[in-house]
Amino acid sequence: MNIENIDMIRKEFKSLILNETVSHNELYLTVKKDVAVKLCDYIYHHFDAPLISMFATDERKIEGSFKVHYVFSFDREDAFIIIKIDVDEKSPYFKSITHRIPAASWYEREIQDMFGLVPQGHPDPRRLINFEDWPDGVYPLRKDFDISTKPPRVKGEYAYRRVEGEGVYEIPVGPVHAGVIEPGHFRFSVAGEPIINLEIRHFYTHKGVEKLFERLSLDKAVFLAERISGDNSVAHAVAFCQALEKIAGVDVPLRARYTRVILCELERLYNHLGDIAGIATDVAYGFGAAHANKLKEEILQLNERVTGSRMLRGMNAAGGVRRDIGDKKDEILLTLARFQRDFRELIELIFSTSSVMDRIETTGHIYTDTAKGLHVVGPAGRASGMDRDTRRDHPYAAYDELNFKVPAMKSGDVFARTKIRSDEVAESIGLIEQALWSLPEGDIRAEIRKIPDGYALGYSEAPRGEVIYWVNIKENRIERCKVRDPSFCNWLAIEYAVLDNIVPDFPIINKSLSLSYSGNDM
Amino acid sequence: MFEIIRKTLRTGSQTINYPQEPDEAPPGFRGKPELFQSRCTCCGECVSVCPPSVIWLKEENGEKTLTISYCGCIFCGRCEEVCPHGAIKLTQEYELASKTKDDLLARIGWRS
Repeated sequence: MNIENIDMIRKEFKSLILNETVSHNELYLTVKKDVAVKLCDYIYHHFDAPLISMFATDERKIEGSFKVHYVFSFDREDAFIIIKIDVDEKSPYFKSITHRIPAASWYEREIQDMFGLVPQGHPDPRRLINFEDWPDGVYPLRKDFDISTKPPRVKGEYAYRRVEGEGVYEIPVGPVHAGVIEPGHFRFSVAGEPIINLEIRHFYTHKGVEKLFERLSLDKAVFLAERISGDNSVAHAVAFCQALEKIAGVDVPLRARYTRVILCELERLYNHLGDIAGIATDVAYGFGAAHANKLKEEILQLNERVTGSRMLRGMNAAGGVRRDIGDKKDEILLTLARFQRDFRELIELIFSTSSVMDRIETTGHIYTDTAKGLHVVGPAGRASGMDRDTRRDHPYAAYDELNFKVPAMKSGDVFARTKIRSDEVAESIGLIEQALWSLPEGDIRAEIRKIPDGYALGYSEAPRGEVIYWVNIKENRIERCKVRDPSFCNWLAIEYAVLDNIVPDFPIINKSLSLSYSGNDM
Repeated sequence: MFEIIRKTLRTGSQTINYPQEPDEAPPGFRGKPELFQSRCTCCGECVSVCPPSVIWLKEENGEKTLTISYCGCIFCGRCEEVCPHGAIKLTQEYELASKTKDDLLARIGWRS
C-alpha cells in the first residue's frame, strides 16, 4: 500500500478512525457513520479519487449490524481506499453523500431498495430497483430474505419528473422497443424538436444476480459472472476470478495472464466493431454498417476457432484459464493482419463521409464536469476528458508488461466516442500481437483447492469501461458479491448527453454510449 | 463513391448457403454434450459440478438413469472436465432446436 499523503488522512481524522486494515492494495478504514460524509468528501475532493463502487453488506449475524462500504480509487498509486461504516438495524439510516459526490446517487438508492437502509438527505429518494408494486419492508439482499420468496403485489405509482409549460410535450418511449433489445423506459420532454429533459426508468428485469451468488460454490460462480453482461463476459469473469485469486493468495501463471490479455482484447475488438456498426446504422450509412458488422463477425468466428465459443465463454477459471491457445498463434495473427487492413480502410471511409460526420460531430455532448461528477467510465468517459483506464491505472493480467496507449479526447460528442473506439481497436490489435509474440511457456492454471475466508476487490477494463467486483468468501462459499458494471455508471450520462439535441439524434447518442441493460440491472 | 464501389467489389459475397449446405463448427467447439453408456460408472461427478444443474442421476426400481437436458445447458464443459472415464464429451453439434422439451433430453440407464 503506497498512497501519497495517506498520513494526511490519518492526521486529519486521527481520532475518528476506529479501525484500519490493509490487504494487498486495499486500505479499509472503519469510521462512525456520522463521519462518513466528511471523510468521503475529503478523499474525493482532496485527492481527486473517484467513487468507483458503493455497497452494503448484511453482517447482523456476525457483527450485529449492516455495513456500508464506499470504494475510492487512487489511480496514480494503484490503490483503493474503502470506507466502512456500521448501520444498526434499529436505526437504519445513514447520511447521503450524493450532494457532495453525485456519482453516489444510484448506489444509495440501490442500498435503500435492497437493504432497507435509508440515505438521509438524498436529493431523489424514489425507489430505483424495487418497483412501486413491491411491498414495503421487503429487502431482497438482507440475509433473512429467502430467494424463493414471492412477495404480494401492492398498488403504487411512480412519479416522473415533469416539465410543464406552453408547447412542452412528453414523449414516452419503451419499455418495449422496436429492436430485440432489453426493456427500459425513456421519457422525453420536448419543446418542438429539441429535448429539454429526459428521464430514464430502468430495472424492469431485475434478476437478483447478487443474491444468486450467495452460497454458490466458487467454480459455478465463475459461469454466473460470465453471464451478467453477455458481450462483456471475459471482463466479468476475469474480474471475478482475480478477486478470488487475491483472496486465495495465488499467483496466476504468466502464460495464463497473457492468455487473459488476448481474450480481453478479442472481446474489446468485437464489441467496438459492433458499436461502430450500430452508429453507422443509426446515421443511415448502410455501407459502413455492413462492413463493420462483417468485421465483427470475423472476430466472432476467430473467437470460435480459438476458444470454442463465439463469445469467449468458458475460458476463465479461478487460478488461470481452462484452455491453452498457444497453438492458435498463427491463425490469430493472420486473421488480425487482414482485419487491421480492412478496418483501417473502413474507418477512413466512415470519417471522410460528410453525411456521417454531419450527424456525429457536436452531437450528444457530455461535458468533462458531467462525466466526472457521474463517474462516466470507459470509452464514453475517455471521450469526455476522463483519462482513466483500469488496464493502465490498476494493471492486472499481463498489462503491465505490454505497451499500449490509452486514447483520450475532450470534445465528448458522438464523434469523439467513435474515434476513441477506433483508436482502441488499433491498440487492442497491438496488444494481442505483443502477447502472442511473447507468450511465456508454462502452466495455464494454478490449482486452488480451498479459498480461505476473506474479501477483496477484483477489477478489469471491459469494452464499456471498468468492472468492479467485491467478493467476500466464507467457508469456501460466497457470502457477498457486489458487481458494478460500467453501464451502472454510464446510464445517467444519457440524460445529460441528449439535452438540446433533437429527438432523431437520440438513437445515435444512445448507441455511442453503448449501454447495457443487463449489466445495469442484474 | 469510387472508394465505396472498389471496397464492395473487393469484399465480394460474404454469405454462405446455409442451411442448404452444412456449416460445420470448428474443432474444439463446445457444442452438444454426448453421453457414452459403456464408459459411465454412475459416479455422479458431472451431476455435482453442473452450474445450471441440468444433469440428474435417478434410481428407481433398481434402475439407474443419468439424464442430461440440453434446454438449460450452458456448454461450459465442466462435466467433460471432471468425468474420470471420458463418458461425457462436448461435440461439434449445435443445431439443437426441437419441437418438444422431451427431444432435448438424453438418457443412459442401467439395471442393477
